[in-house]
Amino acid sequence: MKIASNYRLLVGTAVLTLVSAGLYGCKDFLSTNSVPQGTLDAGTLANAAGVEGTLIAAYRTIDCTNNTGAWGCAASNWVWGSVAADDSYKGSTNTDQPPINDIEGRHWGAPDGQDYINQKWTIVYEGISRANATIRLLKQVLAANPAELSTADARSIEGEAIFLRAYYHFEAYRMWGNVPYYREDDTDFRKANEDQAAVVADLIKDLDSAAVLLPATPRDKGRASAWTARAYKGRVQVYAGQFAAAVTTLQNVKTSGPYHLETSLDHVWTGFKQFYDGPETIFAYQASANDGEPNGNNANFGERLNFPYSGSHFGCCGFNQPSQNLVNAYRVDAAGLPLLLSSPATWNASNAQFVAGDMTPVDPRLDWTVGRNGVPYKDWGLVKVTNGSDSWVRDVSNGGPYSPKKNAHEAASGSEQLAGGWAPTQQNSVRIQLFRFADLLLLLAEAQVETGDLAGATANVNLVRARAAASAQGCGYRNDATIGAPVQAAYPQCAGDARIAVPINDPSITWARYSVSQYPVFPSAAYAREAVRTERRLELAMEGQRFFDLRRWGLAYAAAQINGYIKGEGGRAEPSFVAYKSSAEDFTQRHLLYPLPNLQVSLSTVNGEQRLKQNAGW
Amino acid sequence: MEKKLSARHEVRNRSLHRVCAVAISLLLALFVTGNAFGQNLAVQGTVTSTGGSPLPGVTVRVQGTDIRTITDNAGHYRLSAPGDAVLTFSLVGQKPVQTTVAGRNTVDITMAKIAYLEQVVVTAYTEQRRGDITGAVSSVDIASAQKQTGASVLQRLDAAVPGVTVVAGGSPGARSTVRIRGISSFQNNDPLYVIDGTPVEESYLNFLNPDDITSVQVLKDASASSIYGSRASNGVVVIETTKRGVQGPPQTTLRVRTGVTSPVRGYDDILLTNSLAYFQVEKAAYVNAGLAVPTNIYGDPNNPTVPAYIFAAPGTATATDAFGRPTAVNAALYSYPNSLIMPGSAGTNWWSEVFGHGQVGDYNLDVNGGSDANAYRVSFNYFNQKGTAIYNDFRRGTVRANTQFNRGKLNFGENMALALERHYGGIPDDPGGYAEDGILGKDILMQPVIPVFDIKGNFAGGKSTTLGNQTNPVKWAFTHRDDVGKNLNLFGNVFGGYDVTQAISLKTRLGFNTGENTFNGYSPASPEVAEATFTDAIDENQNQFLDWTWSNTARFVKALGSHNFDILLGQEANQGQNRFLTGHLGNLLNNALDARYINDALGDATTKNVSSTGGKSALLSLFAKADYNFADKYIASFTVRRDGSSRLAPGHQWGTFPAFGLGWHISNERFLSGNRFLNDVMLRYGMGVTGNQLIPSGRIVSQFGGERGETYYDVTGSGNNIQAGFRQTSLGNPNLQWEENRSQNVGADMVLFNGNINFVIDVYRRNTNNLLFDPALPATAGIASPPIVNVGKMRNTGFDLSVGHTASWWNVTFNGSHYTNKIIAINGTQTFFYGPISTRFGNQVINQVGSPIGSFYGYVFDGFFNSAADAAAHTPAGNCGVSSACQDGASMGRIKFRDINHDGVINADDRTIIGSPHPKFTAGMDLGVHRGNWDASATFFGSYGNKIFENQMEFYVFREFETNVKQDLLANSWTPTNLNPKYPRIDINDTFSRALSSYYVKSGTYTRLRNLQIGYTIPSQMQYLPGARVYLQGDNLWTQTSYEGLDPSLPAANISGAAGDVRDQYRGVDRGAYPSNKIFSVGIVTTF
Repeated sequence: MKIASNYRLLVGTAVLTLVSAGLYGCKDFLSTNSVPQGTLDAGTLANAAGVEGTLIAAYRTIDCTNNTGAWGCAASNWVWGSVAADDSYKGSTNTDQPPINDIEGRHWGAPDGQDYINQKWTIVYEGISRANATIRLLKQVLAANPAELSTADARSIEGEAIFLRAYYHFEAYRMWGNVPYYREDDTDFRKANEDQAAVVADLIKDLDSAAVLLPATPRDKGRASAWTARAYKGRVQVYAGQFAAAVTTLQNVKTSGPYHLETSLDHVWTGFKQFYDGPETIFAYQASANDGEPNGNNANFGERLNFPYSGSHFGCCGFNQPSQNLVNAYRVDAAGLPLLLSSPATWNASNAQFVAGDMTPVDPRLDWTVGRNGVPYKDWGLVKVTNGSDSWVRDVSNGGPYSPKKNAHEAASGSEQLAGGWAPTQQNSVRIQLFRFADLLLLLAEAQVETGDLAGATANVNLVRARAAASAQGCGYRNDATIGAPVQAAYPQCAGDARIAVPINDPSITWARYSVSQYPVFPSAAYAREAVRTERRLELAMEGQRFFDLRRWGLAYAAAQINGYIKGEGGRAEPSFVAYKSSAEDFTQRHLLYPLPNLQVSLSTVNGEQRLKQNAGW
Repeated sequence: MEKKLSARHEVRNRSLHRVCAVAISLLLALFVTGNAFGQNLAVQGTVTSTGGSPLPGVTVRVQGTDIRTITDNAGHYRLSAPGDAVLTFSLVGQKPVQTTVAGRNTVDITMAKIAYLEQVVVTAYTEQRRGDITGAVSSVDIASAQKQTGASVLQRLDAAVPGVTVVAGGSPGARSTVRIRGISSFQNNDPLYVIDGTPVEESYLNFLNPDDITSVQVLKDASASSIYGSRASNGVVVIETTKRGVQGPPQTTLRVRTGVTSPVRGYDDILLTNSLAYFQVEKAAYVNAGLAVPTNIYGDPNNPTVPAYIFAAPGTATATDAFGRPTAVNAALYSYPNSLIMPGSAGTNWWSEVFGHGQVGDYNLDVNGGSDANAYRVSFNYFNQKGTAIYNDFRRGTVRANTQFNRGKLNFGENMALALERHYGGIPDDPGGYAEDGILGKDILMQPVIPVFDIKGNFAGGKSTTLGNQTNPVKWAFTHRDDVGKNLNLFGNVFGGYDVTQAISLKTRLGFNTGENTFNGYSPASPEVAEATFTDAIDENQNQFLDWTWSNTARFVKALGSHNFDILLGQEANQGQNRFLTGHLGNLLNNALDARYINDALGDATTKNVSSTGGKSALLSLFAKADYNFADKYIASFTVRRDGSSRLAPGHQWGTFPAFGLGWHISNERFLSGNRFLNDVMLRYGMGVTGNQLIPSGRIVSQFGGERGETYYDVTGSGNNIQAGFRQTSLGNPNLQWEENRSQNVGADMVLFNGNINFVIDVYRRNTNNLLFDPALPATAGIASPPIVNVGKMRNTGFDLSVGHTASWWNVTFNGSHYTNKIIAINGTQTFFYGPISTRFGNQVINQVGSPIGSFYGYVFDGFFNSAADAAAHTPAGNCGVSSACQDGASMGRIKFRDINHDGVINADDRTIIGSPHPKFTAGMDLGVHRGNWDASATFFGSYGNKIFENQMEFYVFREFETNVKQDLLANSWTPTNLNPKYPRIDINDTFSRALSSYYVKSGTYTRLRNLQIGYTIPSQMQYLPGARVYLQGDNLWTQTSYEGLDPSLPAANISGAAGDVRDQYRGVDRGAYPSNKIFSVGIVTTF
């Protein structure tokens, strides 16, 4: 009996102890299990390293990232600025990346095209959000511990963040015109959009404050300086049509700033590191390859599709193929001036593939911009355009025979991603030029034309043309069975000649006749205007600028160019040029701005009202 | 050459393997069972039911010995026993009978059925008489569910339980997605599984051998499930494995089943397999677009020929024809991987190259026994299913030990299972996203002209222009044959109970689920495709987890006259943690299996990528349940549970979940007693609240982070040196609280017509409030994951019913259910959001207030443009916008869309809801007959009124990426003389007709014979295998559907958002799923 009751007592006590142990410490049990695992909290970042890191991240969204999708977010705007205009076709095959068909055909309200439009919007506002986060964190850290950052660093950080905020808003402005402007103290993310004039005022205000805060020499080559901010201010002023102010701003940058033209165009778009961020670069996306990111995703992420196809070293994917129209634009007259100006009726008459050996005189920039059949492609051998599997072009019947070239690296540059990720041969650390000094000179010339300074405009255009005359594509021979041997076979004089750039009249060149000369002083404002616009096209072709330029030059001009581009090519030998453009919408008033992403318009709803107003006509 | 041989060898040898497997398993069964009986004094007799019909399958035992037998189909048994022996008779569903032999030679027995409402059901923490249950609880007919051939017991719950839907792919070991009574939330809608009292957050249950399961109860409404309050809002499935021995010496049961599988349908039934026939489609596409037809593959378009070679690397061709096609090659110049040569194929049947016969084997052996003081059961299982796709293989071995010891008032024991699963072949058990990859998506849409192998036996591919850029699916399967996913689980619990008094008992139980999931995979180089790659890589990951639950309950049971009280008090703590490690290495120097490790020396160290993540969460609970029964007439039940969750915000961590149920056993009222029509009727009403907190841990606070590929930047301009960057990765919500599901249920359990018919019906309404969801923020807020908020609302209404009849020689059970799902609110202001993923042509799913979750969305198909005038009227040139809407790309033979908003233009605003993936009605039916020693059963399942978005049309109708096409595409496409076609005009420039529209929406209705089994019980007087039952079985033998795609039974896609599993936003989209299996098998069950 005694044993039994002891036993019962023992068990009862044990159970009670267990139950109370289970109930004990309820608070701790839940709270210790609520801490997020493997992440950082806001407190960890509230210091100098956190502020600098947040700023770094604000630079990164200039191009596509692991988390933004592709390719509408590309830093170069190749979809929005080149394919949408007369510079290039989407290319590749009809069925790859069909959203770009919608962009190219100006079906911008269609769901596929909207996806891309939303990508661009998303990355732009992510950039703004990171820039604003930097400013907020900087202020918080300085308030808590003023000694955490040196004054110089603190000022530059703030200036860089404000500059980046303006940079991203400028991207939004030139895409959509009427956009909401977000600053570091904004908390309502469903703000209404501002009209274009207000956006311009905000941009200039931010760029002015950034210029005050920023040092004259950037803290690092990839960062903004006071001069970057001033140059962008001039760009904004030209876009806004404030030509007199633009002349002042840009003239100041030209004369007092640190920028010069490179000696040769191939030093601007290059994989050779010694030319990275040279004197011509005002702002560039700092692509990096072989940097420890195992998939090469900090390289030219947004450009990865824009390489010759599987017959070439790159292997994929044949997008962004230069148009016949662009190739024709490089033809020059006997004086070495654009045929486009001297013979408006005939410059674009040729439908024929412009191949090596055709000695029609052309601007040497053609072969820095366009890969064409039989011509050396930097130092990758001869471009081959065939109907077979050794072709560098994926589908000639869809995208024509030409390949993009500026964004490709040189074999000898060593800037190619060595391994990892999808298609490392298309990944490189070629700087993606966002604003370069030649662009600035031509913006200045444009403003000078509009303010009546034709001599000044001529001089600036001629600076660019003089540099264009400095070099042309050379043999690029390499002692290699697959690359060098065909070059030598086609051009025996090229044996052993590894030069990628040569003087434009170098005897090694037998595939083309290059000619580019300077203008005498422009005779009239109308001529000057056309000359400046043509020069912009030739110099900045395939750099994602063209469509924004056309829109800036007004509905009449843009519609004439683009509609002519569609219809003028109607008789081409390559029938698909017609076929997939036959469904393109005519360029009309509404195409002066891209439509806002419908998704974002609907997400801006507050109490049944859509705060974001869609652009007119969409 | 080596690859070629091994690839084909495997396929051919399968038929030999399965013959061997069948033979060996039968021999094994014979051998093990042949010597089990000795001779003694003969006793025989017949067991009948109270209605007088013979009862087969009754276990007859001589108590205290290992002498036993089973009655044959005439209810007859024969055994030998001592004259004073005690015989016990037992059969599931019948009250057991004990009797003494008392010198008789003939002992005939009548067994009474356990009345429906008398059945004992394990629900929550306790066992209950069905007649005491006031909630909606369905029991699964285990015998019927175990007839299925598959790794998981969940696979066929839909046919067995009304109100449950299950979708699963046909890959061995594939996940079954179970939904109870509709869908209650935008995410994480898996029910809670409680196995032997331990909650499990896992939805495969592959580690659980179906053969070990004693009972499965589905708790469908809050009054039944709210005692599991915290996680019960999606319903609860209570599974018991507590099969334990009955008193007596060891009893051994062997169950063996082995069979042959094949896909219910193949793409070769749908797609072209002839190269020249394919060319005619390609030709039409160019001709109709006014383009020149490519000649690089088939030569002269008017006299096409199969090419000698589809690809010859530059320099390898020694002769070409007029079209530049190589006609002769110098094979000596072939080199892998840089200089390949591929022949042309007159027609490769890609489907049959990849899919064919599989094989399944299920082997169970268990031993059980016990005495008054203890009971035990030990079981072993080996399950092996080779998929119908080559190299796809699932293997599982489990060992289980269940024991229980009684020492007076104290009892204790354990249930424990160790399971090891291995999945080979790299086919995910739960494929998600967009199925272009692997062998199941569009790779089965390869053009027939592409051969499987090149001239040297390496794998070929579509390397030339117009051949697409597809990966050879045979190569995919071959190179992933060693990809292996392993799951090691140790699952179980230990428990102890103490009966303090007769009325009060205490119980404590510690349940645990711990183990490890690993995966090793290989990605090959692919030089054979147009966009060639020359590097390979390995991926390896490992997830370790530990989840434990400790529950303590006290139960008080007391009867005071007609008043019966049953009160339960309990407390529970649960903690879960996991840690996930993943690694990647590219450019392997040696790709041999033994060298596939993440190690700098074994590949290119710069491609190495290793990272880890983890999670922790905890729950604390207190609960009580009180049942009151007055004279078996009036029944009331009250439950309350209070839960604290670590996932929710301080101050909102604790939630209270009350419920009550009322039952009126109306047939026990005097005015109905003795009613022959209404033998037994109970009316039930219940209402209550359940909760949901299943979101990622740590979402109360904002989180920051950054990856090298998205926040790091080379700001110094070096070209190869990135600086660290940080961004906000997710926004926290310091007010996160419980999601609540309020449900009401009215039901009736009826036994009618002299006990001949069982009828159960339940009608319900479930409202989800404070729905946990992360609605999208405008992009102006950045890309950080939006905060999870408690704003959404959803409603499900519906009914479930079940009707059963058992006659002397046949029985039938019919289950039917219907639900309506409706989104009531998203975030207060937003009226819709799109589905979680989009296809190449956009997003075809919308979640919109007022409509069901995951509705299909797009344009409305309005026929074809049948004339030039019709097309012109829809273009600006034809002055559209006035009398007819402007439609981009309007042209003869293309698809016309409807101007929904009548604004004169077809644009995004004309998209509307074009269908729902939710069935209007689902039904299951079990039929059984037995005659003499023969028995047969059949299970049907049907889904009615659901729609399928046939996304594969993107490929096999619209030829995205130059894929293969449907066999009838050319004959049934629009032409000027075929104005009533099935398909639009074939036109390579028609990028308009393919816009997502109701043209893709098809009826998903189907009826399927899930299972057909014919069995024979070997008479007990037979010398060998007495009492053993052998059977032949067919799974999925017959399907009736109008769906033209592969298989109307589509699995849900595995899609996750930042806040959890969002697969319910993407149901019914056919993206190319592994088809269901048709299985023929033979089996034997024998006890000795």
